[in-house]
Amino acid sequence: MQQNFLLKKEKLGEFLTALSKEAEVFVPSLNENNATCFLPYNSQELYLAERTQYSPKKILSPPLEKEFIFRKKSSSFEIEHLLDNKKRVFFGVRSCDTHAIKVLDKLYLEYFTEDKWYKAIREDLTIIALQCSKPCENGFCQSMGTDKPVGHDLLLVEKEKSFFVEIASERGEQLVKKYRDLFNQTNFTKPESKFKCSKELETTNLKEILDKNFFHKKWKQEAKKCLSCSSCTQVCPSCYCFLSFDKFILNTGDSERFRAWDSCQLKRFTRVSHDFFFRESRESRLRQFVMHKLSYFQENFGFPLCVGCGRCIMVCPVGIDLTEIASTIRGDSK
Amino acid sequence: MPKKLKAGFYSLACCEGCEIVMFDLEENFLKALDFVEIVDARLFNGKHPGEKLDIAIVEGCVESEVDKKHLLEIRERCKYLVAFGACATIIGIPGIRNALPKEIQKKLKRKAIIPVKDKAFPISAFVKVDALLQGCPAFTHEILDVFVKLYHGIVPKLEEVPVCSECRERENPCLLFEGIPCLGPVTYAGCKALCPSERAQCIGCRGFTEDGNFEALRKKFQEMGIPKKEIYNLFTYFNPDPFTKKMEEK
Repeated sequence: MQQNFLLKKEKLGEFLTALSKEAEVFVPSLNENNATCFLPYNSQELYLAERTQYSPKKILSPPLEKEFIFRKKSSSFEIEHLLDNKKRVFFGVRSCDTHAIKVLDKLYLEYFTEDKWYKAIREDLTIIALQCSKPCENGFCQSMGTDKPVGHDLLLVEKEKSFFVEIASERGEQLVKKYRDLFNQTNFTKPESKFKCSKELETTNLKEILDKNFFHKKWKQEAKKCLSCSSCTQVCPSCYCFLSFDKFILNTGDSERFRAWDSCQLKRFTRVSHDFFFRESRESRLRQFVMHKLSYFQENFGFPLCVGCGRCIMVCPVGIDLTEIASTIRGDSK
Repeated sequence: MPKKLKAGFYSLACCEGCEIVMFDLEENFLKALDFVEIVDARLFNGKHPGEKLDIAIVEGCVESEVDKKHLLEIRERCKYLVAFGACATIIGIPGIRNALPKEIQKKLKRKAIIPVKDKAFPISAFVKVDALLQGCPAFTHEILDVFVKLYHGIVPKLEEVPVCSECRERENPCLLFEGIPCLGPVTYAGCKALCPSERAQCIGCRGFTEDGNFEALRKKFQEMGIPKKEIYNLFTYFNPDPFTKKMEEK
């Protein structure tokens, strides 16, 4: 039978300090502008109330990543790949974010035939998930079926003055074994978290309904409000679009290849040759975001891209709500 | 190694701050001198004024006939013309006069200069501009980038990304939720969201994007309870009023 453990809350700091000695530990905490995000552990206060405003995506797929340097030789080029294979631990990752990591894994490790930069970061990553105990603002993970974490190594569930620890992988088991003196063995069963998400999204036949209403008037109405500021795609833990560009190094003939986040909400995103824009209208760009999350990805991979974290709803300055769009369209198509 | 690029710096109506910012480059400025020769510049003591140029970097806007003549003459002499800083690209601070009432504008007239239509114009109103360096003051790492690109024969192109994009990358909470009117959603990025990261609103010094949804942003400001006058002032602080017709060419 699998053993379960308890980690006392006062021991948490000790555990994280010990971990940060051998790996880079990212914990949910407040940054200098009071936004909640994942920061390297430096004995700061943790933010464990609910899911953070910013996801740990920026560590797995950095906003600006240097891929390689190519140096000019007399008749050819020499390429030096820059891979980041540091040992990392994510602490306190919520269920929605573990599902987003699953999406990134699917894309970068299977679909894109193994992206070596992503693989280097991902390979030595330990995920310590934390079960939500109360609904977060705008979240709708229960509707998307992403309220139970996946692909994690340890799962913590808050239980009065300690955390209930469930081992979910071999890596997690070894972690507990290594710091065995911090954990107490327990006979408790996993505490069930009972709460209802603050938002709901009816997903039955959603794909068919959205596909059928490609030209629904709702898209135009929402596009009128949309600022095309790309905040939604930047905070989305499962948005993965990127662009590649080269930069010359001053004075030498060498260049560097960069990879940077891109966003489908920007007009330039769909610029092709002869300055043609295949998604020029704001309406079509906004529709692309929602349809990709709820319809297109499902068609290709069998599960929706949206993980129901509700961050895009939270961050939108004009209050565009993905769930509201979907439910309005559903209501009209009855 | 190909020949060095010949560059000149010119100032029209402005504070010359962008040119001074060049000194922030420190050792990189000396590195750039390996492939750029500054032939004509007041501040850098250019030795060959009046020579043909590869790159002319022009800061400041056109306010008088003298500026206009000077600008046209520079354009004739150079291969690439780079607009340097907010005044040259979007009129910036001198452009505030364009939004003033007529009576006040009359008082601004001075005898010594012959004004062009009583208004300030960005340099693109008169000549073809090859590359833009936005910001007040302009960002020095970008001018290095322009130098390097032009040296390799690439004309840099602006990427239309709003400040919000970089603000989210820096993981800032949105100022619009705190009741602060911020022009981030309609302003070109590249500054790494400098002002919003310090909790100050973006005032659009890098210019408005073509794609910006100004109507929606104005509506948002109104909903936030910002007075009408203040909204107008904010939108016309650095940029020509986006709600009226675009500044016409003369």
